[in-house]
Amino acid sequence: MIAEESLIKELKQLETQAKAFEVLVNTYKERLYWHIRRIVLNHDDTDDVLQNTFIKVYKNINGFKGESKLYSWMYRIATNEALTFLKQKSKKLGIGNSELQEKMVSNLQADVYFEGDEIQLKLQKAIATLPEKQKLVFNMKYYQEMKYEEISEILNTSVGGLKASYHLAVKKVESYLKGG
Amino acid sequence: MNKKNNKEGFNTPEGYFEDFSDRLMDRISNSESDQKETLLPKSDGFRVPDGYFDSLNQGIQDKINKDTPKVIALHRRRKFYYYAAAAVAAIVLLTIGIRTNSSVEPTFEGLAKTEIEEYFEYNDLGLSTYEIAEVIPVDELEISDIMDDEIEEENIIDYLDDSIENIDELNLTDYEY
Repeated sequence: MIAEESLIKELKQLETQAKAFEVLVNTYKERLYWHIRRIVLNHDDTDDVLQNTFIKVYKNINGFKGESKLYSWMYRIATNEALTFLKQKSKKLGIGNSELQEKMVSNLQADVYFEGDEIQLKLQKAIATLPEKQKLVFNMKYYQEMKYEEISEILNTSVGGLKASYHLAVKKVESYLKGG
Repeated sequence: MNKKNNKEGFNTPEGYFEDFSDRLMDRISNSESDQKETLLPKSDGFRVPDGYFDSLNQGIQDKINKDTPKVIALHRRRKFYYYAAAAVAAIVLLTIGIRTNSSVEPTFEGLAKTEIEEYFEYNDLGLSTYEIAEVIPVDELEISDIMDDEIEEENIIDYLDDSIENIDELNLTDYEY
């Protein structure tokens, strides 16, 4: 783990900025990629959102007050970017959010970067039926194995509320998978 | 309690109750993880193009550099022309501005309804239905704000006539609320 405080300092100074930013991207690119990918599902869209996330981080680092961890701040930017991207997409296509989710999952079957079997595809269909918050919590807890305390800082929700959301999400996904 | 159990001749292994809750929790978590393994696959089947993460850094750097405009120094003589042109433009604008100062300022009433609708359509307000509901007091809302056509009283009576067998049933007394 990199020492966060010194990295932030380096990011704010012009002469060390470029090198520090490279370290930042290399440290967080994979984690943020998978976080975004599980929201937008498609690789090319993920790439766009991920690059925009890092550019926002770069442009706004001077405004980062250090009230939360750098890592949570970046996750928050990535989450917002991904959700805004989906909103814009549904507006452009003139369809509602649930319709968009269905479309995204059905596109997975033809996606060269999705190699899931029948069960994994069904799991994506089940996740697509969850409300936004439950979906985020499920992905962060189940796939990324994040601690509730970390998710709480990113999503600005109490640990108790997150546990309830996760529990509900797992129950819904399981009953969807059992349902045939 | 123990006494009674002793009388009946039943006994438990030593320390049975002390570690009971630990063993129970272990069993619950094991059965939960068993269930998860059978129902929910841990891998999600997504993959990335080969070498994607290696080239990502360069891609971001390129985009940042493209976004930052280069500062070009203005030539001295050119500078003079720019200043002169700006001064002339300012004088022209001021003269026109003073003459046409009587033009009407835009008002809310003056905006076409379609313009307002278009604004809401294309600008994300970032408010959920619940947040909007919080800022607009219920007593300021009329049914016509939400529904396009107001329901005529006649239609309500017709509906009730058709769908309720005994219209007297609707006259609820206080205790029935």
